[in-house]
Amino acid sequence: MFEFAALVMADFTAPKEIGTNPQSLLLLLPVVAAIAVVYKATKLPSISAGNFLKESVVLFCSIVVFMVITALALSGVAWLVTE
Amino acid sequence: MARWQSQENPLPFLFLVGLAGWFVPGGGYLLLKETGRALIIFVTIALTFCLGLYIGSIGTIDPIGARPWYFAQIMNSPLVAIIGHFTARGGYPAYARPNEMGQIYTSTAGLLNLLCIVNSVYLAYLRKTKSTRLGEGPM
Repeated sequence: MFEFAALVMADFTAPKEIGTNPQSLLLLLPVVAAIAVVYKATKLPSISAGNFLKESVVLFCSIVVFMVITALALSGVAWLVTE
Repeated sequence: MARWQSQENPLPFLFLVGLAGWFVPGGGYLLLKETGRALIIFVTIALTFCLGLYIGSIGTIDPIGARPWYFAQIMNSPLVAIIGHFTARGGYPAYARPNEMGQIYTSTAGLLNLLCIVNSVYLAYLRKTKSTRLGEGPM
């Protein structure tokens, strides 16, 4: 038991390997999910599983779609400037 | 004006709610008997914070080299200061992308907890002043 706990704690003492590749952008998703869930938890008048899940997913998708649109727009501007 | 005609001084209770929310994410809501809300907030903020520590290591909590991030991180809980005490000696260096990601995760968790603290105090204030319209928080 002690060895297991030490192993788990040791995992938190060394940084993980994260490259600067496009896949690393996926690390955005857990943060967006956390923001959507906590924001909806503070704003909904009453928490029921179905409604809470629906509202959180809608907010999550809205944020992601808006960020994708922003990224595409910025890529377009960058392409126009460099071409 | 009716809001100010409360029988007792609400400040100590509001302070207690804010303090509980700071010590344990969702603790303020627990005092207001909003168990479901408290549980969701606790699990989400704790997971985000732990994921940040897992990615960037405890070295991402740096009270000396990254002071502005530290102010956001300590909003998770005062217990973050204990981690900061160990990492301030420089024994757990974290650099580059993992450090950035860890700082973003842990600081976002802290700022989300700040939102919850403000919202729970506001909710407590509404209840204490007998205006129990739930969910009408500061935008």
